Amino acid sequence: MARAHDVPVVPRGAGTGLAGGATPEEPALVIVLTKMNQIHSVDVLGRTAWIDPGVLNLDLSAYTRSHGLHYAPDPSSQAACTIGGNVATNAGGPHCLSEGTTVAHILAVEFVTSDGEVVMLGSEAPDPIGFDLRALVVGSEGTLGVVTRILVKLTVNAPAVRTLLMAFDDVSAAAETVSSTVAAGIIPSALEMMDREQVIAIERFVHAGYPTDAGAVLLGEVTGLEDGVAAEADVIASIARASGASEVRIADTEEERAAWWLGRKSAFGAVAQAAPDYYLHDTVVPRTRLVGVMRQVYDIAREYGLKMLMVVHAGDGNLHPLVAFDARIPGALEQVEAAAHEMVRVSVEAGGSLSGEHGIGSEKRDLMSLVFSEIDLDAQARVREAFDPDRIFNPHKVLPKGSRCYDFDLAGTGADV
Amino acid sequence: MTSAADELAAYAVPLSDPLCTQLPEAEFVVAPRTAEEAAGILAVASQSRLRVLVWGGGTHQGYGYDVADVDIVLVTTRMSRIIDWQPDDLTLVVEGGARLADVLTTLEARRQTPVLTEHAGNATVGGVVAAGVSGYSRLRHGPTRDRILEVVIATGDGRVVTAGGRLVKNVTGYDLPRLATGSLGALGVIISICIKLWPRPIAEATVAVDDAAAAVGSVYRPFAVVETEQAAWAYIGGTEEEIHTQASVLGGRAIEGLQWPDPLSESNVLVLRVPARLTADAVRRVGRLDGASFRASHGVGEIRIGLNVVEATSILELRVWAESVGGALVVTRRPGPALIDPWGRPPDSVELQRRVKAAFDPFGIVNPGRLPGGI
Repeated sequence: MARAHDVPVVPRGAGTGLAGGATPEEPALVIVLTKMNQIHSVDVLGRTAWIDPGVLNLDLSAYTRSHGLHYAPDPSSQAACTIGGNVATNAGGPHCLSEGTTVAHILAVEFVTSDGEVVMLGSEAPDPIGFDLRALVVGSEGTLGVVTRILVKLTVNAPAVRTLLMAFDDVSAAAETVSSTVAAGIIPSALEMMDREQVIAIERFVHAGYPTDAGAVLLGEVTGLEDGVAAEADVIASIARASGASEVRIADTEEERAAWWLGRKSAFGAVAQAAPDYYLHDTVVPRTRLVGVMRQVYDIAREYGLKMLMVVHAGDGNLHPLVAFDARIPGALEQVEAAAHEMVRVSVEAGGSLSGEHGIGSEKRDLMSLVFSEIDLDAQARVREAFDPDRIFNPHKVLPKGSRCYDFDLAGTGADV
Repeated sequence: MTSAADELAAYAVPLSDPLCTQLPEAEFVVAPRTAEEAAGILAVASQSRLRVLVWGGGTHQGYGYDVADVDIVLVTTRMSRIIDWQPDDLTLVVEGGARLADVLTTLEARRQTPVLTEHAGNATVGGVVAAGVSGYSRLRHGPTRDRILEVVIATGDGRVVTAGGRLVKNVTGYDLPRLATGSLGALGVIISICIKLWPRPIAEATVAVDDAAAAVGSVYRPFAVVETEQAAWAYIGGTEEEIHTQASVLGGRAIEGLQWPDPLSESNVLVLRVPARLTADAVRRVGRLDGASFRASHGVGEIRIGLNVVEATSILELRVWAESVGGALVVTRRPGPALIDPWGRPPDSVELQRRVKAAFDPFGIVNPGRLPGGI
């Protein structure tokens, strides 16, 4: 129908995305998928489930809990965001450190192509034959087609968990603990850092029990068998102390653990409460470069005179500086955006990239050339063209204008490029 | 043709070179040393419509349809450097032509592993990635494609394309690293890849089990549970205490280390892929094949079958069943011309697949026709 009327199509879930991926830039048919919200079947033995794209992330884990299973990717917005939206952005979350982002948990998608054809990409069986088009669709931000049904992988709930709260005088000591933990061969299921400003904002908002006098708080979690998590928690605690931790606590009760996690997942809400507007960044750097890049990001905020808080998926090297500001003040937003570009630039210079988990959307579309050459972007554009030759799906998103411009020189050969 | 021959001569390998053992016949055998050289060769091939067969260790050449009428064999093994290993970041950037066995030896110094396959043999890293092969440990660590973070490809028409990043978490651009995994050379030559590594645990053990299917769920996330025509084992890791506890739950004696079954030695290897819950059912069906050895990954749904004699009727029956449950039965090793279609029913996205191939290889010159649907 959209094709017949030459109207662009923008698929949209719950609209919790942060990069503008599901917000059209011109009149468009917005397909809202939140009413497709059925969990169709759960295969307990095979640990999979067929679901609609509109199922809420947290609802799926709640639904499968009685089977001892959960859906591993857990973005902070998991109570409100849909799995379909998670598929579009290849969403992350604290527990993606050990389990991988959304793409590792999507086994197949039922997919509507630009021709209006419905095809299955992926399968219940491992390694479907042919190209892995499923992987292209996950994280494509609605630019390749529309996902109408999803086969997710479920993860078995851990028999034991240890959650550690570690306080440090400064973020460098916390970051050192992160690097040393990974270097020691421990992949915790989550390793999250919050700076002093962020901790104070969270404490005011939800009273999570964080020490507000600390320069940085590190929240770590290890899951597995009782013996193993006890040993790993000990190792992490000693690393933290060796790095100068002023306090190391292990959650005694499930209530305490839940409160600590509520604090972390309320980080953005806490800022929203404290300032009229906030700008949430999402860049990613090699884990070994975390300390240096964080320092540069603080310098940039200082230079631009911005009030900045920082929360970091530290184990993944994924930074979320949060800038609180008031958009009613003329020029404030422009300052924030200019600083944002600087922060992206220092991340890229350290070998990082534009986005760890939120996506490109329209926000970072024009920064793509910081990490990709003309040839690289052209290759991406060719893939998009293969799926959607008439560019009806979510136009103007992800790839900058003019990406499909590179014509390889086959001159003099009569080659019909 | 003459000008193409001149250009290719610069990269040619004399037939007496050890690189040329086992290679199929072709007009040209070339061995580029850099991405630019590989791209140059492919550009020439595209211009002159010469058909290119990409060759690493030769381990996975039995996958899919034969590449017919090969003009150029492009050997990757001169691109074999470890470009960047960051042990503290658990990432490795390595050229596609590197021998996996050599890479594993290097990584062992810090007890790290790329978890690609337990039987490296003579395979190259690029070959394992191109074939999309995963090891038994995918039950715990997921398939190979979940660890490929960045890829550099020389495309069929001679562009050098980089995608992904040397980062464990990244959503910048389409996921071409996963697309390249299992692409069987149909996009071009895999020049280099960045792989996410895993630390090996303090202790590892192999435990014999009676009921393989039950073992998957009776302990917390074993590395693998493998059943063969002779026996079944669970593979576990962790601290010494964890190993001890898990072994007693499994009810078997723990042997130190991961003692994987020998790779299949038969002249034909087929891989049966079914939903994980049907693994035990698949094992029963495979057990009825005359003279079959097998390696079944419980909890995964992959059963590798070794046969010296392929009896087409019973194999096709097995394939009909596999396809009826959403799986496949594919041929990955054969001594000569295919007796049965190596892929079976093509996926319903075959037209889309064709267009994706053309986005990288518009003239259809690199590993042409190898994939399902003759793509």
